[in-house]
Amino acid sequence: MDVISCKGLTKNFGRVKAINDLSFTIEQNRITGLIGPNGAGKTTLLKIIAGFMRASSGQVAVFSENPFNSLKVSSNMIFIDENMKFPQSLSLAEILLSASAFYENWDMELAKGLFDYFSLNPSRQHHHLSKGMKSTFNMIIGLASQCPLTIFDEPTAGMDAGVRKDFYRALLRDYLQNPRNIIFSSHLLNEVEDILEDILLLREGEKRLHLPVSDLKEFAVALRGKKEIIFDLTAGQEIYYQKSMGQDYYYIVIRRDSAGEVLQKGGAAGVEILPVKADELCVYLTNRNRGGIDHVFDRN
Amino acid sequence: MGLDMVEDKPIYVQIAEWLENEILCGNIRENEKIYSQYQLAEMFNINPATAAKGINILADQGILYKKRGLGMFLSANSKEKIQYSRKNHTLKKLVEAVVTEARRLGVYENELIDMMRDAKKELDEHEK
Repeated sequence: MDVISCKGLTKNFGRVKAINDLSFTIEQNRITGLIGPNGAGKTTLLKIIAGFMRASSGQVAVFSENPFNSLKVSSNMIFIDENMKFPQSLSLAEILLSASAFYENWDMELAKGLFDYFSLNPSRQHHHLSKGMKSTFNMIIGLASQCPLTIFDEPTAGMDAGVRKDFYRALLRDYLQNPRNIIFSSHLLNEVEDILEDILLLREGEKRLHLPVSDLKEFAVALRGKKEIIFDLTAGQEIYYQKSMGQDYYYIVIRRDSAGEVLQKGGAAGVEILPVKADELCVYLTNRNRGGIDHVFDRN
Repeated sequence: MGLDMVEDKPIYVQIAEWLENEILCGNIRENEKIYSQYQLAEMFNINPATAAKGINILADQGILYKKRGLGMFLSANSKEKIQYSRKNHTLKKLVEAVVTEARRLGVYENELIDMMRDAKKELDEHEK
């Protein structure tokens, strides 16, 4: 069963298309990473899925319902981001207690365990916490709520490296115990890729890729060698990234599944063939310019 | 843990190789149940679907077999199967790489063979 399906989803803000004709489906009980550079439409998409925003056109279904104004979706979903507001009169401990009344599957043992582990002070108030502490607390709410659809929008903002690592581990262990639908937006793919099952890559409101993370590492291949040989070989291929290396050497990234012959010929011609890391590939695929930042400096 | 997350090999391939090593070392015996995808996910901090993909590589080669509702078990002669395929693929490629490097450095055949003997001697002494 599909938990989320979008078809031709579009969201306009004035003349800007934040989401543009987006179609995809997410199957049950997966951890999906929503990846893309700033302004790619990640938050907008998540807010539409959460039912916080209405789409301009196209269809979206969450648990087979339009999430906007859906009680079913809002009672089975939690949306965690750094702008979460809690009543200022409540202490952290009181927030946990009232959250347990809201969420049917609330796991207070988990909430308290994480709360103690991260040394949060139960009598403090949410709006007095530092940015990283706020994110940590919000993450605890997100995990303990045990919602069938758990959405984290850039949940690690302000967390230090150690807490982020603990968080990913906590997320995975909790998911193993209680598999459910988790969507997680981030631009730090290298930190999260191992715990993700699928990745949905956005660029300028459009879908760039949607595939299992394990396929991502084999999606593209890089060639490094003499300029003439390389450009000769890759003629007609879609080039994701190219960089000049020193005098007449070039580094070029192309799609692997259409490159069988290129690789054979290249190998014979002394071209180096290298794998492309998942996070690097995502950067290449979402760059507006295939030459990357060097393009700015290499104008002739 | 034993996985090199920076290595360019896909994680599921590394999982399959780790399981193969466990089998080669005799840590898992014939007709014994192997780790589940969830155990592997927890051990290596990876998504259980990725772990399952690693397990499936071995299942496709007949090294593992499935008992319905019980999980994956180690087939008979699996150790020999792994030894055979590793020798004919992995080891062969490693040797090719060594020979290529030796040629690049102008190392003669005899010298190369001596180096291999020395390396083996050192390993043997370590084990004593």
